[in-house]
Amino acid sequence: MEQSFNPYLPELATVIKITEETPNIKSYRVVFDDPEKMKTFSFEPGQVGQLYVFGVGEATFVINSPPTRMEYLQFSVMKAGEVTSAIHDLHEGDQVGVRAPLGNCFPYNEMKGKNILFIGGGIGLAPLRTLILYMLDNRKDYNDITIIYGARTPVDLCYKDELSEWESSPDVNLILTVDNEYPGWDKRTGFVPTVLNEVAPSPDNTIAITCGPPIMIKFVLQNLAKLNFKDEDIITTLEARMKCGIGICGRCNIGSKYICKDGPVFSLTQIKESGADI
Amino acid sequence: MAETGFLPKDKINGFLEALGKDSLVYMPVLEGDTIIFRPFSPEKNLCLDRPANSPPKSVIFPQSDVLFSYRYEKETDDPKKVSVKIESHTDYPKAVIFGCRPCDVMGFTVYDRVYIEANGPDTYYKERRDKTAIITLSCPVPSAGCFCTALGGGPANREGSDVLMTGLEKGFFFEPVSEKGKAMLSAPGMEDGARYMQEAQNKQQDAYNAVKKPFPSVSHTELSRKRFDLNEFWQQAVSKCVSCGACTFLCPTCYCFNFTDEQTLESGERIRSWDACMFYHFTLETSGHNPRPTRFERYRNRVGHKFLFYPEKYNGVIACSGCGRCIRYCPVSVDISEIVSQLRSPE
Amino acid sequence: MYKVKADKLKEVVTNVLNDVDLVIGYKQGFDAVHATPHFITSADQIDGLVWNPLCVHNLTTYLPALKMKKIGVIVKGCDSRTIVQFIQEGLVTRENLVIIGIPCTGVISVNKVLKETSRELLEEIVFDDSGNVTAVTGKGRKTLPLAELSPDKCRTCQYPTPLVYDHLVGDPVKSDKVPEGVYADIKEFEGKTLEERMKYWEQEFDRCIRCYACRNACPMCICQDNCIAESRDPHWMTQKMTLTEKFMFHMIHALHLAGRCVECGECERVCPMGIPVNKLKKKINQEMKELFDYEPGVSLDDKPPMFMFNVDELKIKEHKI
Repeated sequence: MEQSFNPYLPELATVIKITEETPNIKSYRVVFDDPEKMKTFSFEPGQVGQLYVFGVGEATFVINSPPTRMEYLQFSVMKAGEVTSAIHDLHEGDQVGVRAPLGNCFPYNEMKGKNILFIGGGIGLAPLRTLILYMLDNRKDYNDITIIYGARTPVDLCYKDELSEWESSPDVNLILTVDNEYPGWDKRTGFVPTVLNEVAPSPDNTIAITCGPPIMIKFVLQNLAKLNFKDEDIITTLEARMKCGIGICGRCNIGSKYICKDGPVFSLTQIKESGADI
Repeated sequence: MAETGFLPKDKINGFLEALGKDSLVYMPVLEGDTIIFRPFSPEKNLCLDRPANSPPKSVIFPQSDVLFSYRYEKETDDPKKVSVKIESHTDYPKAVIFGCRPCDVMGFTVYDRVYIEANGPDTYYKERRDKTAIITLSCPVPSAGCFCTALGGGPANREGSDVLMTGLEKGFFFEPVSEKGKAMLSAPGMEDGARYMQEAQNKQQDAYNAVKKPFPSVSHTELSRKRFDLNEFWQQAVSKCVSCGACTFLCPTCYCFNFTDEQTLESGERIRSWDACMFYHFTLETSGHNPRPTRFERYRNRVGHKFLFYPEKYNGVIACSGCGRCIRYCPVSVDISEIVSQLRSPE
Repeated sequence: MYKVKADKLKEVVTNVLNDVDLVIGYKQGFDAVHATPHFITSADQIDGLVWNPLCVHNLTTYLPALKMKKIGVIVKGCDSRTIVQFIQEGLVTRENLVIIGIPCTGVISVNKVLKETSRELLEEIVFDDSGNVTAVTGKGRKTLPLAELSPDKCRTCQYPTPLVYDHLVGDPVKSDKVPEGVYADIKEFEGKTLEERMKYWEQEFDRCIRCYACRNACPMCICQDNCIAESRDPHWMTQKMTLTEKFMFHMIHALHLAGRCVECGECERVCPMGIPVNKLKKKINQEMKELFDYEPGVSLDDKPPMFMFNVDELKIKEHKI
């Protein structure tokens, strides 16, 4: 092939492990077929990749394994449409295509020395996980780490193994919740935005990062404002229909910014400035 | 060595044939009442009377393009294992676009910033772009809806072309703009253009003065952001839009695309095809959520992209060449220049 | 004549606007030879209304999406057939509509006017009361009878007076065109050999850019946002720009309009590449007429044949023994 890098060609990778997180979410660990590519691949927490099922299409997922653990790349996929259903039909050993890393990353350097407040719902924990693990692997760089995470029911909580680890870890303060009472669940109940109000974290020297269903984000942002968090200290990831992933095909824009290239990580200030349709 | 050329009318076919020896030559051809860019052949009806219905953007940015193909193959040393082999080609032939207008070429300069300079680069676009020469015809008169001069362009604008031709009574005055263009001065049938220069310049000036200006000029900084964000403004301005893709597909500066993947048995391909932000599905997400569910938001995004967002990123360059096709061919005559005028007027 | 009607129209609309959320009419467009749809929500917009042979658009295309609102709409004879068809199919709520009908004596085809004036920039178009059109360009004036500048549909128009209306602006006009004329062009086309016809369609559709202007301008085409042309499930065609894919789209589109197309001609008018797409639909309509004795958009009590099922069709001999 030609010498110049072709940004649209998927890199061949093989699925090495599939984990069922919830009834409709599975995590896929992939390794590039080319060992050189695997060795030289690097990314920053928050960046995404296009996962390609041959003949079906690509979809965008955050690389939710951290760059500090590079034996594989992990993508967590919720079954929702054509491509994600095809991904859910994959088996270990199947070949897929990966175009990564794309997009920007969490401002993890600027966050050093600060308290970090993660607020996630459902599959929203996926983009947060990469940063949480990164921070745990670089623990001394960050102050208090608090995670408020909830799902509809206990079955819908992702990364249950890690959640247990974090619950008993002194490095992080994990607050779990499910929307309503559920047999066998003896911890908190309540929607994530409500729990946020109950916990009422201080905005002092704190960055809040939130991901989850749009309705949850809406109320979380309202409540963070009420708790006096400044817009520039609130970070979220945006989603859109994406195709090229490199800021050319023109569809994922909010104002003049492209979610695939200038995002998906945005501060609330940036989102408000763009004034665009989300 | 002559600096300009003159090609008599009866020498055009010979000129195009000579170009055709190592390049695919595209020229505007009359089919019924429609003018469309087609590969040159002497039997075809070359028509330079007015701008083609569709711009020649598909020469460099085809409406559908196979980006790569793949097949599942059994491994020779382990027949139980099946793996994917991907193939992609960008060995395109050289091409010449003959007889487009300055507004058409301006489109390619808009793409260049996005496809080559700021992102990617997009190898498919770049390969074709590097291998294509563009011989532009300056417009003798404006067409209905044209407003290139209001956007800093003009009927004899040279930006992006390799040669600018001006139609005179007995032939065409040739002004090279680039090295590729200079090389064409030694083409068969080409005469020295020096004595035609004044006549050509007069014609170009007349044409410039004839173009109607819906506004004297526009910069993205002077557009009313307040009015732009107002839903009522768009509901008033574009209620009549039927949300087709005619404006987008006929626009020389529109470049959005879609990927679709197809597979039959054990082989498949990825196809890139033109897409339009005017379509409902353009931003439709799997969850069913659509950030631009109505044609008001979609048209606002269209105007925003051309007159606000693109200039914000690229030094104030407006991603519209004022060719007027979107106005002429819109089923309901939505007039983008009128809408921009309204965004320009003071609060 | 046109001015008088326009003034009367403004009076009617002023009244109607009190009872509806929106009136859809026509106003002057971007140049002398174009009108454009005019969405009137307040009285100060009424003065912009025009009525003349530039008013070619079928304004009923906006109605299905506005089914829940009270709408006033201005229709010519051909446009009113669309409303009749909508009523047959339940696509509009009749009580929510105020139909302002205008008996029509013909509209212009922009393409024909441009051809007759050598595509010079038009400064003015004047319609006089004797049915003549004068086109003024920088190079001079040209006067022609309206009939010579009309699209083909006007030359065979059977229903110049709206078939359904709440207000009629002007006196009813009777058609002076023979019914056999409607499909004369189809009959002539079918006189060509199969190879000639195939070559014709290959040449015409090669220019198609799948912009879907024909689909979106069509009032009867209501699944635009979920069209088979782009759908992945069901997956009928790819996005490749080949003749096969283009044929596929146009054939399916025409078939979806079988027994529904009222031949308003918008599809052909709006095609930016000059493809005679109306021909396909007319051919299918001709078949529907012969098979089911049904003409779309004419009788409020009819039901489209493709919406119904008879075990024994009168003209389809399925059960030959």
